[in-house]
Amino acid sequence: MNLLDVEDLVTELASDRRWMRAVNGVSLSVRRGETFCLVGESGSGKSVTALSVMGLLPAGKHRHPSGVVRLYSHGDEAIAGRSAALDLLHADEPTMRAVRGGRIGMIFQEPMTSLNPVLTIGEQLDESLSLHYPEMSDQQRSERILAALEEVRIPDPAKRINEFPHRLSGGQRQRVMIAMALICEPELLIADEPTTALDVTVQAEILKLIRELQSRRGMGLLFITHDFGVVAQIADTVGVMSRGELVEVGRVEDVLGRPRHDYTRNLIAALPERLPRPVRPPKVTTTPLIELRDLKVHFPVRQGLMRRVVDSFKAVDGVSLSVGAGEVLALVGESGCGKTTLARALLRLIEPTAGSILLEGQDITHLGRSGMRPYRRRMQVVFQDPGSSLNPRLPILSTLREPMRVHGIGRDDDARRHRAAALLERVEMPTDSLWRYPHEFSGGQRQRLAIARALVLEPRFIMCDEITSALDVSVQAGILRLLRRLVDEEGLGMLFITHNMGVVEYLADRMAVMQAGRLVESGRTEEVLRAPQEEYTRTLLAAVPRLVAGAPIPRQGSGASAHP
Amino acid sequence: MNDAEIAVDREKRSRPWGRQVLAALLKSTGARIGLAWVGVLVLVATFAPFIASSHPLLLVVDGQTSSPVMAYLTPVDWIWLIGFVAVLLFFMLPGRLWLRMLALLMTLGVTTVLAYTLVSPPALIIYEEYRELEQAGAVERVLRAPIPFSAKDYLRDMGDTGVEAPLQAEDRRHWLGTEDNGADVAARMIHASRIALAIGFIATGIALSIGTIIGGLMGYFSGVVDIIGMRLVEIFEAIPTLFLLLTFVAFFGRSIYMMMIIIGITSWSAYARYVRAEFLKLREQDFVQAAVACGLPLPSILFRHMLPNGLAPLLVAASFGVASAILAEATLSFLGLGLVDDPSWGQMLNQAVQSSTFNWWLAVFPGGAIFLTVFSYNLIGEALRDAVDPHTRRTEGTS
Repeated sequence: MNLLDVEDLVTELASDRRWMRAVNGVSLSVRRGETFCLVGESGSGKSVTALSVMGLLPAGKHRHPSGVVRLYSHGDEAIAGRSAALDLLHADEPTMRAVRGGRIGMIFQEPMTSLNPVLTIGEQLDESLSLHYPEMSDQQRSERILAALEEVRIPDPAKRINEFPHRLSGGQRQRVMIAMALICEPELLIADEPTTALDVTVQAEILKLIRELQSRRGMGLLFITHDFGVVAQIADTVGVMSRGELVEVGRVEDVLGRPRHDYTRNLIAALPERLPRPVRPPKVTTTPLIELRDLKVHFPVRQGLMRRVVDSFKAVDGVSLSVGAGEVLALVGESGCGKTTLARALLRLIEPTAGSILLEGQDITHLGRSGMRPYRRRMQVVFQDPGSSLNPRLPILSTLREPMRVHGIGRDDDARRHRAAALLERVEMPTDSLWRYPHEFSGGQRQRLAIARALVLEPRFIMCDEITSALDVSVQAGILRLLRRLVDEEGLGMLFITHNMGVVEYLADRMAVMQAGRLVESGRTEEVLRAPQEEYTRTLLAAVPRLVAGAPIPRQGSGASAHP
Repeated sequence: MNDAEIAVDREKRSRPWGRQVLAALLKSTGARIGLAWVGVLVLVATFAPFIASSHPLLLVVDGQTSSPVMAYLTPVDWIWLIGFVAVLLFFMLPGRLWLRMLALLMTLGVTTVLAYTLVSPPALIIYEEYRELEQAGAVERVLRAPIPFSAKDYLRDMGDTGVEAPLQAEDRRHWLGTEDNGADVAARMIHASRIALAIGFIATGIALSIGTIIGGLMGYFSGVVDIIGMRLVEIFEAIPTLFLLLTFVAFFGRSIYMMMIIIGITSWSAYARYVRAEFLKLREQDFVQAAVACGLPLPSILFRHMLPNGLAPLLVAASFGVASAILAEATLSFLGLGLVDDPSWGQMLNQAVQSSTFNWWLAVFPGGAIFLTVFSYNLIGEALRDAVDPHTRRTEGTS
């Protein structure tokens, strides 16, 4: 009952007048009703595999030296055997157009950009429907669209049909994307990291929805992800990809429970919740390094001709917390809960509306630009996006030396250069990085350099805003170990903003949960994780896809048992 | 890390961004053609008095050697010559960019002051002096410029000269013909190249400075500064440059400097918009926020961390701006509102139209020069856009 067969697929992409092998001899097959998870780190070729199957790689920029991709239709095997299968790699463009959207549906990663902002939801759903079913009447089509939106549980679908994508939340947009992929009832659904950009609670709902739809329709599902937690929740069969090759394929319990290949083993061991924790002596409560008292950041909402302030958006609404020396406080919450605004207000990058910020006992809430300067040295920040965290026009040496110069650290430029070189060694980067530019480094390396930039001023407190969320797990593991070492060895205080519970578990001494601008719960990490007191914390924790060591993986839905 | 290791490390240094852009720029054929033409123009403009002059370069009379050209060099000639050497040194000498820039500007300033106080060429210029001397047979040896006519030499000694097609006269050689008053077209075009270059660079320089400062402040501070700045931009965008120029010419007479300033102060608004948009985007970038969090001073944040990252669209717009400033001057001169006696390409085109007969050489050569120059700047702008755009440029190294 194979639906899709990929045999020895090789995909080469044109890059700088050379051919780079992105996929190297991948063979896999997806059966009806089966979920095949392709998991791997960035650059492992998992998306290119999916795009090769769909024939969506840019024309003239790719080639397939070898490989066969066959898509079988209903009953092919019984009637005509293998010969009736459609060869997707060599099919012509009109055939492929009929296949895409018709027999194979696809969901992309970024719900914010995969819908056309100038067309209504209804129009976009209608487009692929009228293309693949030209014989349907307007009436039939609109009924079908309504049914599709109902199926993905969009509230009030009759009204939503005429709305534009910007009116929908990220989760709802992803639901619309799923409706669009499924509206022509494809036999195979390819989902390329469909939940990566979503919050955990939304992710849990979308995964449940995909699972349900799949078992109801008996589709094959090729699911691409980098998250082992998601794999454990949704997969029947797992393929682990590394450098264009499928290094391990097997049933999900086998691959996750008893990985055979070294690469898989290392990947699973690098998951933050699996990292070995150093024994930490219980902290003696010291005076707090940084303290927030009832901090509020409100953004005015202006309306009308005179731009009168009619209301205010309470991004941070009365938050009190403190971080001591040698302590990591993790701030957890979903997107839009105000954690990044809190971070920026704490660093005095945006003005707080009310409340006070105390750094080592001194009130810095109302200091001016020059008044802040000596305090800037003591609190530093590392941001989320490795792509924009370093000035692309300056070599690393200039980036590291300028703050030292401004704050009078180091005798002269020579001494500063030696200090910068020493710092690079601390963050485990080669010293010749000093004369390189940011674009020459990978994401993980750039985050290390950003950490070095933060450390250059010998701060007492470092704020880390989701600094590992754009990184692969193995790279993340290295950075987390580095951060923990810095905190333990130097007694830094750290506020670590994240949405990844595994990271919290590994890194944080205490954690605080934030929702809609307020702290709903805080306490020691183990206690909060083991026995959450608040309903919201419980929902959040339950939604986190986890991979529990040794325990049988929880199965849900009937998809797994549907096929022989 | 000791010094020996640092010396090794130097080998591994990456090329600075500016060099990378330059290398990418020079890879494009269009940019090479454009830069070559502009380079020729710069050479011609700098050495104009030595290329086209009625005064001999060297003259031996009664055993005494003299150089009439040098005696007749005006302050402007001197500024061009010394400025040319200064710019060459600016590119050749090592050292920090801003130091060299400062030295260049100071050299130019000092040269200007000195040139106008020290240089005093004869007030009365008799172009035919040396030709008559030569005909009288008093000259032992003479070395003339390749084009032995000055821009304003109307050949009074040659009788009733007027419009002549190229290479028509038997006793004189006018490669590109003569214009209405009998002056050599080639000589006038060579001297006019100065105006074309200067107006392009100075007017755009003025516009760029004003635009960058106002746009930068609007983008970084936003809020009230932004609102006021944008209204200012709108006011200046509502003024048509050409009509303002006409008005000013009517009030203050015709001056090339006036034109540069007016073209400059009416065309900064586009640059301000570009810089503002870039700064609004950059302000939210993590590395700028990190620079603020490091407590770096405002000028460093604005000019070291933000401006170089927002420079790309500005450079491209500026290279098109140079072209349009040249066109603006040509338009004015063509309309007969430009300079009176001093040669300019636009003014020569004007003469082509005003004659009763169509004198093709008066239209083709200056028109061709305007076209080539504007086209060159556009080619450079085009290539620059590709060179600075990370999407079209391949990154080198290990990215």
